[in-house]
Amino acid sequence: MPRPRYVVGEAWSIARSSPRQTAAAVTLIALALYVPGLLALVSHNLGRLAVSEADPTAVVLTLEAQADARAVAARLATDVRIKTVRIVGSDAALERFRRAYPDLGAALSDLKEAPFPPSVEIVLKPGSPARTATEIAAAARLWPGIDSAESEEEFSRRFRDAIALVRNAGLFLGAILTLAAILSVASAVRLALDLHRDEVGIMRLMGATESAIRAPFWLYATAEGFVGGSVALGLLYGTYRFATHWLARDPHPVLSVLWVGFLAVPTALLLPAAGAAAGLVGSLLSLGRRQTRRVTRIA
Amino acid sequence: MIQLFGVSKKYGTFRDALVDVSFRIDPGEFVFLTGPSGAGKSTLLRLLFLEEPPSAGQIIVNGRNIGVLPQSQIPYLRRTMGVVFQDFKLIGRKTVFENIAFVQNVLGLARVEQKRRAYHVLKRVGLHHLMNAYPDELSGGEQQRVAIARAIVNEPTVLLADEPTGNLDPVLAEEIMRLFVEFNIRGTTVVVATHDVEMIRRMGKRTLTLERGHLHDPDRARESAPIVRDAPFLPLS
Repeated sequence: MPRPRYVVGEAWSIARSSPRQTAAAVTLIALALYVPGLLALVSHNLGRLAVSEADPTAVVLTLEAQADARAVAARLATDVRIKTVRIVGSDAALERFRRAYPDLGAALSDLKEAPFPPSVEIVLKPGSPARTATEIAAAARLWPGIDSAESEEEFSRRFRDAIALVRNAGLFLGAILTLAAILSVASAVRLALDLHRDEVGIMRLMGATESAIRAPFWLYATAEGFVGGSVALGLLYGTYRFATHWLARDPHPVLSVLWVGFLAVPTALLLPAAGAAAGLVGSLLSLGRRQTRRVTRIA
Repeated sequence: MIQLFGVSKKYGTFRDALVDVSFRIDPGEFVFLTGPSGAGKSTLLRLLFLEEPPSAGQIIVNGRNIGVLPQSQIPYLRRTMGVVFQDFKLIGRKTVFENIAFVQNVLGLARVEQKRRAYHVLKRVGLHHLMNAYPDELSGGEQQRVAIARAIVNEPTVLLADEPTGNLDPVLAEEIMRLFVEFNIRGTTVVVATHDVEMIRRMGKRTLTLERGHLHDPDRARESAPIVRDAPFLPLS
């Protein structure tokens, strides 16, 4: 195997010899990874809204301020279709919100009154018929002290579907754009190889092994992809900072939810890793056996 | 030792660059390969360091049949040979030192050792003061000497040179040939392709003559190599 210092030196030399192509490839990779990264960030924040509980809430009864939550809960407990009844007080609702949105929770601390009314959450027994939640909600609306009664099942399902759609769109776009990134790296490497064709021929004649000839190109492309992925991550974080800064001054009911938090560190690091992988695959594609044989003949 | 048995090289269907060439060069020999342009001299050298495979026949270098050498082993064969090309084949973006040391660099030799060896060979060709120069800053003669230094830095057992004096003035050509003789005296087998008949005559070394791909009387050439006692190309002491 060639010496690491030699490989690093040669890779740097290749990058310096074609700065425009290198910059173009890095830009393409950055853009290709930025878009799926953005969708990942949006779906990540949307996902906070979807409570991943073992027993999802089927019906939420919002109570009037003077209503007796325990009495409502006791009445619900007599229904054989219901597995669990949870009473969520105003303070508990606020605490839950703060846990889900730590950045927004601070903004609510100045409020004198609790922003969330008390509620009762109903969990149905497993295997309950599809319309059970709707029936219970409809019956509860007629009870005294009930401000509103909503079946969560349909909403939860649609919401989860929406998140899945965003995630799948991100994956699909990510796959297409990563393919584009791979091809752009492959082109950059091919161009670099063309620029160094004579040199590669001379190295081969002087006794350089194939791995010694290819390794700098592999490293060059991998580093190119890594830098592209890092730029994409930087752009994404910049977008997030800009959006949160902008929304802090001018809050928006929907957009604020999409920019609550940044990606977790392991997820964020996937961008440079994906860039590096795209670079490596691109270089492997362009440094295939056929290509190097062609170079041998030319040399 | 280099041995060729019935070696032929065809380009396409009709062009025979070499036809049934057989000869033997013993270890430590100095041999000229001559003939008019297009005779097959460069082709023969290319076959010897496996830049191209022969169309037929066998080539033995240092006891190995290089025709059946796996692709992965070719670089290692080339490292046992030094090659001096007519067009120098120096890498323009590398300094003289880097051009000479790059195989050792690939092999992971310590930089101090690389420098020591490069300095040593550059001193032998009189260019140790130009280690950090780039090829395009050198004259043709200097570039040729750098190419020679690169060819000998790995202490090859065989040194092949293709028209090494073709682009040089007579004084420089003489200097280059003196270097080859010096390497030969130290035990390196030297094969020089040239069409400079006058130089061959003055050197008085064994000569293999190619004409249209055919080798002329190789055995006779070995026997009849003239001995010039007062040859002007004496090794530098």
